[in-house]
Amino acid sequence: MNQNNTTMPTAKSGGRRFRNDVIFIAALLAIVALAGLFVFLFRQPGDTVVVTIDGEHYATYSLNENMTVPIHTGQDGEQINVLIIRDGQAHVQEASCPDGICAAHKPIHREGESIVCLPHRVVITVHSTSEQDAPDIVT
Amino acid sequence: MLGMLWTLVSLTSCEKKPNKYSAYSFDYFDTVTSIVGYAASQEEFDRVSSEVLCQLEEYHKLFTIYHRFDGMENLCTINELKDGAHRTVTVDRRIIDMLLYAKQMYVKTDGKVNIAMGSVLSIWHDYREAGMDEPWNAKLPPMDQLTEAAKHTDIEHLVIDEKNNTVTLTDPAMTLDVGAIAKGYAVEMVAKSLEKQGITGYVINVGGNVRVIGQKGDGSPWTAGIENPQEDEREPYLAYLSLTGQSLVTSGSYQRYYVVDGKRYHHIIDPLTLMPSEGFLSVSIVCQSSADGDALSTALFCMTPEQGKALIESLPDTEAMWVMADGTKITSSGFDRYIVQP
Ligand SMILES: [Zn+2]
Repeated sequence: MNQNNTTMPTAKSGGRRFRNDVIFIAALLAIVALAGLFVFLFRQPGDTVVVTIDGEHYATYSLNENMTVPIHTGQDGEQINVLIIRDGQAHVQEASCPDGICAAHKPIHREGESIVCLPHRVVITVHSTSEQDAPDIVT
Repeated sequence: MLGMLWTLVSLTSCEKKPNKYSAYSFDYFDTVTSIVGYAASQEEFDRVSSEVLCQLEEYHKLFTIYHRFDGMENLCTINELKDGAHRTVTVDRRIIDMLLYAKQMYVKTDGKVNIAMGSVLSIWHDYREAGMDEPWNAKLPPMDQLTEAAKHTDIEHLVIDEKNNTVTLTDPAMTLDVGAIAKGYAVEMVAKSLEKQGITGYVINVGGNVRVIGQKGDGSPWTAGIENPQEDEREPYLAYLSLTGQSLVTSGSYQRYYVVDGKRYHHIIDPLTLMPSEGFLSVSIVCQSSADGDALSTALFCMTPEQGKALIESLPDTEAMWVMADGTKITSSGFDRYIVQP
């Protein structure tokens, strides 16, 4: 009994500490899991290139994957703008439009930057989630 | 309301604060229109943006010189001849107001903004269209044809009867071209109508005529980046501006042009030389009214920076930035107060 009495407090306090540790670790795990869930739910899709034709959404591409996208427009798809995504930049390599202004536009990669092909009614816009100080309006 | 799309641009928070939405249209003023706005819901944004597009459509139909519409008089029908002369045309009051405004701007800009230059501008228009259709065959308009047309550009031959809402062109060879002011004027009218309804948190951009209506959804001012037309990683934007309720209009020689023998010829024609004005990559105007911004950016393109500065400094709350052909920037004395650091 005495021994028990003398050892119990330490054992008791040891048990409490152990239980506290379990609670602490469980809480930590819960926080990590919640944070993970939060990151999963609100994860940033990364920088993208959004293409619209005559105001309608056509496609969204990752700016981080190199690719060549022929964008066909017109009644029978006879008009073309060749969108190139390379090294995190997008540009129009060639186009069948009469003015060629889209193909002369410099490559874009910043939030809000866009290339417009007026004759083909194509707008190519960058949506960057990583850029914090991007202007609201680009003109 | 063809060709509209409502995109949810960003949903960055789960709080109940207004989200940012946007819409594009290619249907008006031969350019691209974008509307960006903060609204509580997609439906609310759709309601405002379709009203903006409806109003723009009305102004487009009234002000276009390229199309006629059944049962209405517009700039196109004012330009038409009947029995070798122009008719006296009774028009919508909105046309009268725009034409009166254009006459004011003619005086203010010392003739640099002249909507009676239709005869000259239509020659350039035809050569530009032909040159874009067959780039290998692109030509410049012959100067003698331009100087002959320029004899019929006296704005005094535009006779406006304010009482009866009629317009007469008293020179049969004269036509109107409101390309230098119509977009900006229409944007301003639409913006004013939104403001009257208490709508705030929107930006209308018709082909570089930007008009800001109120502040952003979170109450902060909008930031606008004026794109550097030249490829320069260190300076992607020539200026960052902070705007609440103003207009920002940029006219650029890179926006609309055609190529003859390897040289670009843009669309802003100097009334004196009858040729595309040289010397600038772009001119940006910050002022209250987008109509003024549109007219002034065209006018400054056809003046030396010194002349342009004198004009800008004489106008209240109006600032300008010139980008010279070599990329150097000039700003008017108060331009800096709109500049913010990114
Ligand atoms: Zn193009």
